[in-house]
Amino acid sequence: MEFAAHVSWEALLQQVLVGLSRTTILFIVASGLSLVLGVLRIPNVFHGSLYMIGAFLAYSVAVSIGGPAGFAVALLAAPLGVALISLIVERGLFCRLYEREHLMLLLFTFAFMLVFADLVKLVWGSDYRSLSLPPMLQGSFTILNLPFPRYNLFLLLVGPVVAFGLWFLTNKTKIGKIARAASVDREMVGAVGINVSWVFAAVFIIGCFLAGLGGALVAPTQNITQGMDHAIIIQAFLIVIIGGLGNIWGALLGALIFGLTDAIGILILPQFAIVFPYAAVVIVLIFRPTGLLKATW
Amino acid sequence: MLEVRDVRKSFDGFMAVNEGNLTVERGKIVAVIGPNGAGKSTLFKLITGHLKPDGGSIRYKGEDIAGLPPYTICRRGISLSFQIVNIFHRLSVFDNVQAAILSRQRKTFNLFTPAARLAREETMRIIDAVGLSDRLDAVSSTLAYGDQKVLEIAIALGNDPELLILDEPTAGMSPEETAATIGLIRRLTREMGLTILFCEHDMELVFAIADEIMVMRQGATIIQGPGEVVRADPDVQEAYLGGGH
Amino acid sequence: MSKGVFSPKTWLLLAAAVACMAVAPQFLSRFYTYLISLVLVTGLLAMSLNLVLGYGGLYQFHHAVFYGVGAYTFALMRVKTGLPSIWAYLAAPVAALLLSLLIGWICVRLSKLYFGMLQISLGSLVWAIVYRWYSFTGGDDGIHGVPVPEALSSIDNAYYFTSAVTLVCLFLMYLIVNSPFGRVFQATRDNPERSEAIGVNVKRQQLVGLMVAGFFAGVAGSLFVTIEGSVFPDMMFWTLSLEILIMCLLGGWFSFFGPMLGAAIVVVLRTVMGIHTEYWTLILGVMLMLLIFFLPEGVLGYFTARWGSRRRAAMEDL
Repeated sequence: MEFAAHVSWEALLQQVLVGLSRTTILFIVASGLSLVLGVLRIPNVFHGSLYMIGAFLAYSVAVSIGGPAGFAVALLAAPLGVALISLIVERGLFCRLYEREHLMLLLFTFAFMLVFADLVKLVWGSDYRSLSLPPMLQGSFTILNLPFPRYNLFLLLVGPVVAFGLWFLTNKTKIGKIARAASVDREMVGAVGINVSWVFAAVFIIGCFLAGLGGALVAPTQNITQGMDHAIIIQAFLIVIIGGLGNIWGALLGALIFGLTDAIGILILPQFAIVFPYAAVVIVLIFRPTGLLKATW
Repeated sequence: MLEVRDVRKSFDGFMAVNEGNLTVERGKIVAVIGPNGAGKSTLFKLITGHLKPDGGSIRYKGEDIAGLPPYTICRRGISLSFQIVNIFHRLSVFDNVQAAILSRQRKTFNLFTPAARLAREETMRIIDAVGLSDRLDAVSSTLAYGDQKVLEIAIALGNDPELLILDEPTAGMSPEETAATIGLIRRLTREMGLTILFCEHDMELVFAIADEIMVMRQGATIIQGPGEVVRADPDVQEAYLGGGH
Repeated sequence: MSKGVFSPKTWLLLAAAVACMAVAPQFLSRFYTYLISLVLVTGLLAMSLNLVLGYGGLYQFHHAVFYGVGAYTFALMRVKTGLPSIWAYLAAPVAALLLSLLIGWICVRLSKLYFGMLQISLGSLVWAIVYRWYSFTGGDDGIHGVPVPEALSSIDNAYYFTSAVTLVCLFLMYLIVNSPFGRVFQATRDNPERSEAIGVNVKRQQLVGLMVAGFFAGVAGSLFVTIEGSVFPDMMFWTLSLEILIMCLLGGWFSFFGPMLGAAIVVVLRTVMGIHTEYWTLILGVMLMLLIFFLPEGVLGYFTARWGSRRRAAMEDL
């Protein structure tokens, strides 16, 4: 075990900024999960697979088109592709199971995770992939005498945009309001004549779109591998849980806690960095078992 | 035996019980009546610990029981039979009643004795008393509604209570089933020496068997007394009976 | 209703089954003997989960933690200390028991879903610590070459030991399920509110149930290391927890032997499929989907429902 010997303010700040950019991706993924959980009451384990598929799709699109344009297209195409998959899955199978118990839904989505894990292996093989950034986003700025990767800054900008977009969608649009009402009282909304089924489908697709977007965004920052689905889903679930089930702002808060404790952990005790966020989650849940912010249930 | 004084309970600002007052003497049958929403079920839940009162006192055999958890109150000798059928739906009739008896015998942490051997006589006695002996092994969720209500009472009896509280015991029953339940309640007081507190909408039943009647309206107790006194009371007539019985 | 633990007919069946298991290694190749050992261990694990899942109605979403802790405790005791192996076999379930006491005590305050979620987070924390503590637990490599007692190093002997221990555990579990504790525990599954009303301290019942389940999971963990010789962090990863849930679902979680059957199906299919294809995960996923759609009570549940209705119909004719 090694403690980092001396932690300067600059290093701390730099780590915090890195942590924040990681937060963006965590937030995007977790918010999608939270949306689906809050409105549809589905603990969607499959969400992690969609994240992984988003990354692989982004890789394929970016590589086949090539150049900076390829990356830009990939950022849009990958989430859309994921959304399409989720549409098929939802209309085909999920919509028949909404009345079932949580446990069954959880296991059903887990079944999808199993299936798609192998489908990804079929399509892309077992080797990992790497996606390189377009030149515009490569390299780093120098902030306070320390290097700060340009891509991280990009992520820090994307985060709030997505957050704002989600907030707008759920609070200011008609469909958002219907979705929020439906999450509280499905039957009433149906009784008023609104086709709840399509609302649910829309919410599900948006949630999955976010998963794909998260995957596409993370693609250039790490190796794109088979285990990505497992790794992200547990983190996303824990973030959703500590934020409050179904609460988008909770997802943001949770992602912040997760990302920052991870970053701090790297500074203090690098070998056990991943323990820090899990420990933080446990501490939060012991004191606030239903999450920090109000759940939508 | 049971003294409830000025008990209060509100839910998010709605006062379900405002001035709940009740006295139950040992060996008596006391009925609580009142229109829907008067707070009868809430009062029962306060007495048995399923809800915590916001104020007032609840004393049982001289001891304060307000706010204690349900399992503690049960062990002191109060048993509740619920309004909505609240049975162990995957267990058989026998197992349902036996569970209550095992709980009373404090055997709930006995891990290695076959339960089928234990407490057979006591369980059968209760099941015979309520008339369910021919459906001993039936899974309780398959019983007819009336039988399930009877099983409700049987489970409550399994605790060998001194005070048995029945929340609308004949709700949803046919006239024959109601008559059988009335007979059962009478037998329970006479043979087993139970004190019974119940609430009902069936006025005939209430005036037929209750020693004393307590009337509630909008969460408050209007009056408590023997049948003729209650019937004659002008407040009660105005609020509830609407023109005499 | 029988007065004894089993009826005479059941004793006979059991004796026959034990006899079959005793002579099996004579007729089977070492591979199949190993496979049966693996089935028994996995089945024991699944049945330990079902103690709280099917009989207790608790959403035990991260049961694998107790299995992993049992396995690691056994391995670490064998590798780090010079104590005789009996201590390792005793320490493993005790460690799992203590952990389930701790995690259970924290979690039973909550109901259903929140219980499951807090458990997942606690379990993941344990996993994360084990995963990264290279110096102590071997990190993501795990520990290999765990010294197994001399007498158990052959596949046949490991099989005998495993099946003996498993049978004893199954017998104990059967007693527990049919004991007063088991009855009341099932009552708390069906109706926690009513259980409170009949004088049962539901939280304490659930805690004891969790401890028992954890204990047997720990035993399964030590048995696994006995037949495999290694331990790795995947044994306490959440995917394994979900797989065990699937086994319970597959076999039928309201029946006693359901989970064992489910484990047998999964382990055998996984091994057989693994020979022909590397896409076993896909097949398992499809199986699970079909199961949820068509057989929500599992294989055994489906059959007992059919037999049960036929028996009831026959009785009504009498």
